[in-house]
Amino acid sequence: MTEYQWTDLFVGLRHGFSAAFTEEMMKNFENLSGDVNPLHVDHEYAVHAGFVGPVLFGMMSSSLYSRLVGVYLPGKYALLQGIDIDFNSPCYVGERLNVEGEIIFLSDAFKRLEVKATIRKDSRQLVSKATIRVGFHG
Amino acid sequence: MDNLLEELQPIFRDVLDQPNLIITRESNASTVEDWDSLAHVNLVTAIEKRYKIRFALGELQELKDVGDMIDLMKTKLGQK
Repeated sequence: MTEYQWTDLFVGLRHGFSAAFTEEMMKNFENLSGDVNPLHVDHEYAVHAGFVGPVLFGMMSSSLYSRLVGVYLPGKYALLQGIDIDFNSPCYVGERLNVEGEIIFLSDAFKRLEVKATIRKDSRQLVSKATIRVGFHG
Repeated sequence: MDNLLEELQPIFRDVLDQPNLIITRESNASTVEDWDSLAHVNLVTAIEKRYKIRFALGELQELKDVGDMIDLMKTKLGQK
């Protein structure tokens, strides 16, 4: 986990990491969210609807944005205050997802930063993009 | 610069998610619904980005309403 101080941060600072989700994680997210939509939990239904298989929950893949700000950018002293997300394309269990984030705005008055972030597959296909508003409590 | 109040209307409407909101120089967090602490941060940063100006926390703590904010903005924009 990074431990940036406020004065360490600058526009253009970037971090990234990769992750993948498992069947077990999908089941866990289904249980905790209560989202039992068949597109996410029924293989046959998802394929019939034109997808490769059950589509990863968007809010589950987007949990990687939580990791991005809470662990890396800015890390320890982050407080997630808001996020706008577009879901551009579906992704699936086992696919490697590459998360990249960059600070695009800093406001000293309330120690607020904004991060522009993306999640892409190895093919560079865009899975989602987000603008994340982060408070800093250090 | 005299149009600042009008220019701020869409910013307040967007941040507070109230399409029909009309703010006046006398508007403040007590008179506008949902103008809470997070909304306040969002308003200030939206103004900073829109006008490419920066506020100090001490300056903001002295403001009592939108009119004070506009006066502070005028000072900063005049300094640019």
